[in-house]
Amino acid sequence: MSRRDFLKFTAAGLGGCVYLGANEKSLSAEVQEEKEEKIIYRTLGKTGIKLPVITMGVQNSDNPNLVRAALDAGMVHLDTAHYYQRGTNEGMIGEVVKGRSRDSFVIATKESLPKDRITGLYRGGATEEAFLRELDISLKRLGLEYVDILYQHNVWNRETALFEPILKALEKAKKEGKTRFVGVSTHRNEPEIIKAAVDSKVYDVVETAYNFRQKHYVEVRNAIATAAKAGLGVVAMKTIGGWSPEWQEHFGGLGSRGPYLADQGVDARAAMKWVLQDPNVHTIIAGFTTFDQMKLDLSIMKDPTLTTPEKSHLQRAISLASLYCQGCEQCLKSCPAQLPIPDLMRAYMYTYAYRNLTHAQDLVISLNLPDRVCEDCTQCLVKCTNGWNVQRKVRDIVRLRNVPLEFLV
Amino acid sequence: MMKTICMVLGIIIFLWGQGAEAKDFKFPEITEWKQSGEIQTFVPKTLYEYINGAADLYLAYDFLELKVAEYQNDKKASVTIDVYRHKNTIYAFGIYGQERLPNANYINVGVQGYIESNVLNFLIGPYYVKISSYNTGAEDQKILLTFAKKVSENLGEREVLPSILSSFPEEGKKKNSEKFIARNFLGYSFLHSAFSADYELSGTKFRLFVIEGGDQNDCPNMIQEYLLHTGNLQTRIEEGHFTVKDPYHGEIDFYWKGRYIWGALNLDEPTIRSKYLKLFEDSLQKRE
Repeated sequence: MSRRDFLKFTAAGLGGCVYLGANEKSLSAEVQEEKEEKIIYRTLGKTGIKLPVITMGVQNSDNPNLVRAALDAGMVHLDTAHYYQRGTNEGMIGEVVKGRSRDSFVIATKESLPKDRITGLYRGGATEEAFLRELDISLKRLGLEYVDILYQHNVWNRETALFEPILKALEKAKKEGKTRFVGVSTHRNEPEIIKAAVDSKVYDVVETAYNFRQKHYVEVRNAIATAAKAGLGVVAMKTIGGWSPEWQEHFGGLGSRGPYLADQGVDARAAMKWVLQDPNVHTIIAGFTTFDQMKLDLSIMKDPTLTTPEKSHLQRAISLASLYCQGCEQCLKSCPAQLPIPDLMRAYMYTYAYRNLTHAQDLVISLNLPDRVCEDCTQCLVKCTNGWNVQRKVRDIVRLRNVPLEFLV
Repeated sequence: MMKTICMVLGIIIFLWGQGAEAKDFKFPEITEWKQSGEIQTFVPKTLYEYINGAADLYLAYDFLELKVAEYQNDKKASVTIDVYRHKNTIYAFGIYGQERLPNANYINVGVQGYIESNVLNFLIGPYYVKISSYNTGAEDQKILLTFAKKVSENLGEREVLPSILSSFPEEGKKKNSEKFIARNFLGYSFLHSAFSADYELSGTKFRLFVIEGGDQNDCPNMIQEYLLHTGNLQTRIEEGHFTVKDPYHGEIDFYWKGRYIWGALNLDEPTIRSKYLKLFEDSLQKRE
């Protein structure tokens, strides 16, 4: 991507961000938000369940008192899964909710049967009975007669989302009163899965990854809008985005929240609020592990408005994202010269995003590149998952090798 | 001089060992089974692609790398081996401990393992190995054990559980309930990591814990912060006994001496509490 392309890309990215920010008030009215004891609630589509905009993702916590504190503070929706901590997560929630009035909390769990690890298609053992057996185990661990939302877990293939034995199992579970509503959760290929959920006429809820760092967040946002229009409840997860060392270094821990966010600064808050600016998202999952993080999430639950510094932060973050190599390493397989492309892209980022030319030069020199770089290939075989013109970037950045240090300092 | 040479050699051996750990592991060859597809590798930023939402917890236990291989036989049965490598043996024990059930069917593989229908998980050194099978019929357990044995051999020498676990008093301790909490113990970021074990004595259920401090200021700093956070302000922190009224956990009794802070949760009976904290102290002092 040239600098001109980059600027165009950045403008488009910011356009989306600013669009959401500028329309906060009118959108708020559209989603019929209600303020009840200061907590912001939204209705989870046709389920009619009114949920606070923050849901506790219990997957990272083994601390029952943290879950108790969240429930006591009004965070009534707990999200777990059959296999989180091999079932001990559901068991811990069961202990916490024991003795509480059943209508004072909303429980969502997810079931998953063996899938092909590459295609995501179910294997032979994925039957209606097997799925329902998993559900019965979950209910036993939770000590409940029913859950509120039962998801088919981690789907990234349309065929899997519409797999008939699972759809039948979901319908049967609902009919037998073992769940009030059914849904599907997806972490990749989200737009296709959300559309499949709408087409199925079976699902009531979709739980999807959604954050400002997704390369395809516009597609996700459009799919979510379609789902919400069709009456589906929309639960967003992975709202802060995935972890990366560079991201952590430059945004003070804006990454996976559980382990890496020691202090919940403006960054995490901004990322979560960004998702909540979308009126079609009804609640977002927050995977906190400390009481301080919980307090921060409670503050968002009561006021998800993006502040000016938070907007600036997001703008900077989106700009950086366009120069940020995802480090997928797919390029390494296709480069005949076996160049260390992710490292070179990092040097490119140091140059154009951080303006740290000496750092970039140090990195380029340390890579011990051949004398001729990208000069012998007439056509570049590298297909970057970011869609970057890798050859152009590599040629650009290796020139740093020949620049005297005094020009850079 | 000799001391310096030994130190340098030690560092070299340590670094070499770390490298060997990462590079040397090879998935085993098993008679009548063939590896299908490529070995997949996941690192911290891609772990979500494999285990989605569960990845956060693995990252909290300093996950470094996952290698996944799948095997098939002529009968269309398959076995998948996931080898998770963590920062060190303690962190691997930590994530293993988060997922084991105290009443599981424990087996003698690696440091410790357990088996159930279509699943065998075990811990060995910095590795947490999860083996799952599909369509293996009546031979399931035999097949899982064969794979586990081979993988365990390839991963190297058997090690033991973290030694500090032996400091927990034995009486009333629930077998296999020990845990290592890598971060945010009790939900507080300043109480970094801790070991804990569950107890049951005459119907009373409680938990003992120990926090191992880093440098000499670590323990008093943690205590100071904890007291501040819970409104129990105290200007001078000295070794000894503390009782804190925690808004989320109730009254917590704990001691600090040397490198250790140890205490009891949910234990209201003063006599039992004193007895256990004394027993704990005695065994911890032996480690000093």
